[in-house]
Amino acid sequence: MRFFQNANYDFLKYRKHWAVVSTILSLLGLSVVVFHKGLNVGIDFAGGTQVVVQFLKPPTADDLRKSLAQTGLGDAVIQGYGAENPDQFMIRTRLHGNQEEGQEQEIIGALDKIYNPGSHPNFDINKGGAEGLALLLFENDPLQLKAADITAARDAYNEVAQSILAVRRQGVVRDFQQLAGVKGMTPEILQTLEQRAYVGNFAVLSREVVGPTVGAELRQRGILAVVLSMLAMLVYIWIRFELRFGIGAVIALIHDVLVTLGLYALFGFEFNLTTIAAFLTLVGYSVNDSVVVFDRVREMLRKSRRMPFEKLLNDAVNMTLSRTILTASSVFLACLALLFLGGEVLRGFSFVMTVGVIVGTYSSVFVAASFALLWENWVQRRREGQPPAPSRAAESKPRDAKPPRETRPSERKAAAGGRRR
Amino acid sequence: MNKSLLYRGILILAVTAFMVWRFWPPEEKIKLGLDLRGGIHLVLRVKVEDALRSERDKVAERLSQESQTSGGPALQMQPISPTAFAVTVPPGGRDKILDVAHSEFGEWLPEAQGNRVTFRLKDDERRRLADLAVNQALKTIDNRINAFGVAEPQIQRQGMGGDRIVVQLPGVDDPERIKRLLKSTAFLEFRIVESGPASTSAEALAAYNGTLPPNLELLEGTVKDEVSGKSIGTQFYVVQKVARVTGRDLKSARPGVGQFNDPVVEFTFTHEAGQRFGELTQANTGKGLAIVLDHRVVSAPRIETRITDQGIIRGQFTQEEVTDLSTVLSSGALPAGIETLEERTVGPSLGADSIKDGIRAGVVGAVLVVLMMVVVYHLSGVNAIAALVLNVAIIFGGLAYFGATLTLPGIAGVVLTMGMAVDANVLIFERIREELRAGRTPRTSIEEGFKRAFASVIDTHMTTLIAALFLFQFGTGPVRGFAVTLMIGLSASLFTAVFVSHWLFDLELSLRKRVESISIG
Repeated sequence: MRFFQNANYDFLKYRKHWAVVSTILSLLGLSVVVFHKGLNVGIDFAGGTQVVVQFLKPPTADDLRKSLAQTGLGDAVIQGYGAENPDQFMIRTRLHGNQEEGQEQEIIGALDKIYNPGSHPNFDINKGGAEGLALLLFENDPLQLKAADITAARDAYNEVAQSILAVRRQGVVRDFQQLAGVKGMTPEILQTLEQRAYVGNFAVLSREVVGPTVGAELRQRGILAVVLSMLAMLVYIWIRFELRFGIGAVIALIHDVLVTLGLYALFGFEFNLTTIAAFLTLVGYSVNDSVVVFDRVREMLRKSRRMPFEKLLNDAVNMTLSRTILTASSVFLACLALLFLGGEVLRGFSFVMTVGVIVGTYSSVFVAASFALLWENWVQRRREGQPPAPSRAAESKPRDAKPPRETRPSERKAAAGGRRR
Repeated sequence: MNKSLLYRGILILAVTAFMVWRFWPPEEKIKLGLDLRGGIHLVLRVKVEDALRSERDKVAERLSQESQTSGGPALQMQPISPTAFAVTVPPGGRDKILDVAHSEFGEWLPEAQGNRVTFRLKDDERRRLADLAVNQALKTIDNRINAFGVAEPQIQRQGMGGDRIVVQLPGVDDPERIKRLLKSTAFLEFRIVESGPASTSAEALAAYNGTLPPNLELLEGTVKDEVSGKSIGTQFYVVQKVARVTGRDLKSARPGVGQFNDPVVEFTFTHEAGQRFGELTQANTGKGLAIVLDHRVVSAPRIETRITDQGIIRGQFTQEEVTDLSTVLSSGALPAGIETLEERTVGPSLGADSIKDGIRAGVVGAVLVVLMMVVVYHLSGVNAIAALVLNVAIIFGGLAYFGATLTLPGIAGVVLTMGMAVDANVLIFERIREELRAGRTPRTSIEEGFKRAFASVIDTHMTTLIAALFLFQFGTGPVRGFAVTLMIGLSASLFTAVFVSHWLFDLELSLRKRVESISIG
């Protein structure tokens, strides 16, 4: 199957229109974040407490919100934890004042009051620790082991406690019968558990607390990493190719990041550490497309020095079009699999990459080359003080006459290496 | 088959075998991050200003003593900051104080203004003291975690010379207990014995009709052989639940020798605790005093008289035990308070779900990518299968080889690499097609295709690598795991696309006598 075999579209004819469209898209993305919805900033950057709980008899998110509001946790953000896990919820609160310690105890305490009401024994199978359970068994001594050997008794009960809680590690415990089969369990122990413990209505799957100090640091470092990586791309392309290409590629990158960020905010995904990872990966991926086009331009420059820059760029985009589409499709497919099958935690990450691939492909065709050309014309106009003439690569920059020095030896090496093999 | 082809084949096979050997079986060889296996990640801050403050108070106290021994008045210290204080000296006594300060406390720089002298701690000394406090806290935490018995704990300072300590405890899911363990200063308690020792719990409880009143508690103690010091049984004490004095009240603990020439731990209380201990012992003279360590009675001597600020712990210890106990008791005293800056606890069930989802997404993603490659490039697309399989093998082998951890974003990195790895293939295949279109023979087209696409392949890999490097620099934990996975994946895809896929083409060409066409869609 072949695509765009003899593609010859005039991508650059309407470069000014594309530039306007892309600028508007970028500004739209930015304004969604700034004016419309704002980012759903997670605790990584804002600081706060986040608890994931699994319910035995799950309430609706609304019920949960109302109940928590009654206990003074009205500012808590509550999210379902994916369609596959209707019994799991994420509860998030902001830090109050400047305290470093989190609110997980308050959240869990409030849930306890709401969903485990009334009187019941002290020990909750779904929340207690192994040590407490071992102690409970030891104190009640259902197997009458203490009289014979107290140390052996302690060890035995420790072991049973561990294997009971191993069940909970698979998810919330439903009832005592679920524990009947675990290693070391006897009817006596089960009876003691039924008398002295109870099965609470929820289990805590994860809890995270990020204090304001760490939050502020992560925020700073995240922004720095994205900005610096873009600058690094500019420098790399400048060294490997030319400044004008670097400018085009980085403008395309800014466009990709802003548009994707706007969509990300619009869909309300949580913005966290993994999101920054996704955006950095997007930066790396998205610049690839531009680089492939520039590589082609450089190669063509070596063959025909007198071709106008505009035609050169346009031909290069056309020649690499099938590769651009194919690679984008394959990355898109992988991201799509991640987005739909990769689970709740990775959803934000996959969203950035899935959307980013599409936006990045558009930008490498319509933004990077267009801006490289616009920049080139602008520079020329300033230099000559004349209205823009169709720029001639050979005339505009003496460097173009000779391909950049650093590429030649490596190409030759590669060719030689290829032959040797 | 020519020789070069054979050698290259052997090399590819060897690399594959090495990688598979490295990570097989994956459950054992691949280190999972805390987000996948469950566990606790804590970032703690040592409040070094606490340690500095106590050093400041000590120096001010000693300065005042020096003043008194030389016939002057006691000096009132006015704190300014954790590293500065001022004293008001009597008229005419200033030079003497400055002299003493100069000879005894050289690291504190005095600055006189009339009768008021301000002392400031030198910067390098402040750094040294802060560093000392953090290292001491690190050691204490390390001791306690080891005592807790966690497999593969990671306890280290964050960065160079900061005041932070990162604690990672895989498989532990009770953060409250851990935080309590790390932040508390001691587990030593002194409690009044109500009855005992008794040889069985039933006997101990008999006097209370089997149930203890809420203010009392049954504790065990070990009976040791008089001569060998070995444990020969257990005895039970009924003790008061409330401990009026605990290890927190200890000023210091050190090994010593008791009246029967036996090894004991000598300890000193703080002044205020000494008062409390005095009241307690006076009120309970004649009763037993249980010295309780980790909820076990170490010994329960009879209180003969009022005891105030110091004492000994005797428990038929060996010399080694005494040394350890005094280390724990004094290393148990953290040099400064500790606060939690960041805490992440992931239960194993979430981690297990994540692994399942990740594998599912990976398999589906790989199948989709391979399908697309075969549809577009026909037989040549099969190359992509080899590339993907090898890629995954190299990523996992690399992770195992470098001892890097696989995190949830890392799994995403593997899936993403599958999508990106075929990029190099696509670049090369498209080039080969172009050459074919230009009318060259398959053999030349393949050679030219690989040669011409090489620069683009390098450039695309480099740009992604740059992004991955920034990610590595920025990230911690899971994100760093992603960066590592991405970097290994990029190297793998460079190898598979340029070297392995070229070899596959050459292999096919050499197997056919006459090459008129190749299957590249």
